[in-house]
Amino acid sequence: MKQDSQWEPRIVGFLCRWCSYAGADLAGTSRKKYPANIRIIKVPCSGRIDPLFILKALRLGFDGVLVSGCHPGECHYQTGNYYARRRIAITKKLLEYIGIEPQRIQASWVSASEGGKFAQVVTEVTRELKEIGPNELFADKK
Amino acid sequence: MNYLPTKNRDMEQRLRDEAKTLLEQGRVDYVIGFEPGSLKLTTTPLITNNKDDVNRLVINPFIVNNLSVYLTEVKGRVGIVAKGCDSRSIVSLIQDKQVAREDIIIIGIPCPGLIDLKKVERLLGKDRDELDDITRDGDRVVITVDGQRKEFPITEVLYDNCLGCEFPTPQEYDILLGESTPLVTDLAASRQKIEMLERMSRQQRWEFWEEEFSRCIRCYACRNVCPACFCERCFVEESEPQWVLPVPRWQDNLIFQVVRNVHVAGRCTDCGECERACPVNIPLRSLSKKTYDLVDELFHYTSGIDKNAPPLMTAYEYTDTQDFIR
Repeated sequence: MKQDSQWEPRIVGFLCRWCSYAGADLAGTSRKKYPANIRIIKVPCSGRIDPLFILKALRLGFDGVLVSGCHPGECHYQTGNYYARRRIAITKKLLEYIGIEPQRIQASWVSASEGGKFAQVVTEVTRELKEIGPNELFADKK
Repeated sequence: MNYLPTKNRDMEQRLRDEAKTLLEQGRVDYVIGFEPGSLKLTTTPLITNNKDDVNRLVINPFIVNNLSVYLTEVKGRVGIVAKGCDSRSIVSLIQDKQVAREDIIIIGIPCPGLIDLKKVERLLGKDRDELDDITRDGDRVVITVDGQRKEFPITEVLYDNCLGCEFPTPQEYDILLGESTPLVTDLAASRQKIEMLERMSRQQRWEFWEEEFSRCIRCYACRNVCPACFCERCFVEESEPQWVLPVPRWQDNLIFQVVRNVHVAGRCTDCGECERACPVNIPLRSLSKKTYDLVDELFHYTSGIDKNAPPLMTAYEYTDTQDFIR
């Protein structure tokens, strides 16, 4: 895969079905504009996210991963997002250590009423990923 | 062969006596310890319910295995020989409710550090089969080869993880054999490989790990020796969805190892078994120790210290770091 002017980053978004997923929905119904680079996967809670999901997405060639859940204190299951926070914190640091750009692992808190914030997050993440270019980490070089 | 100064031979005899008593009194069903291995300068795990076998138990600088990995496999009450790191793995298993404290009798050994035969081989330019004897004498090691005695500082031959050891004496035990020995460490040497990686560029680090994991044959020895890896079904063996291919391609090997390390974060006690078990010499401790350090840096948590504390990843603090979250 060569980088050309046509290249657009592809992002997987793991969105919590109680907040960020509804936030994304609201962004749509409010006609907010944001880049069409994100492919959304609905998850029951951000606490469902295993570091494996993040690596698998990068392995499949996605340029970035966004995990989005409820603000601290607002988890539907009380504590899921706190566990997610710990897990993503250490995953991101460890992946940086082995040589994956930290920009490829993104996280946000977006509530069901924050359609505008969701649009803004996706815009920012897309811009950052455009800056670092396509994910060729897992490509066979030989 | 006599690897030990007198004090440690007393310790060995006391271990045999204690193990025998435990079995005779029926306080345990099994004893897990070390016996001499089939090769020179090695030991192998001994799991027995026969009191006549206890005379094979040994303590020497080559008792490398983390025996706590057998706790989840042996049924009944168990007496287990544990070094500092092993006892922390046991505490970690108790925290994770994989074993019950009352089913285990921990026979603690104040560990003076284990000798890395690969380092000895490099130091002398000799194969381990050519060595006659290795004896520890305080902070010196005496190696007899071709009838000649050679002395080196002990820090030159200890395992990297032993050089960074924080708790050589078990904190959790029922029987402690002897008093704690003075700790000989070399923290810089213990983190040397990690710091070398941290100085590289991101691209270089990635290429380094690509190269290393190209050798991986996915024997899963690292996982199987790890007491923190106790899942009944590992994600690498799932077929629906098939997260990683079973054939050893470097990409999947890397994902396996990185995800494994995140999964055992907060359980890993830096015992170094994964790296020792690796048949193709992948520097796995450069991943596991980094994860260990990250756990400390991010969550100020040290694994295997408090048996009543919740496991790291099933707990949280309101103040946990979130500067990376939008």
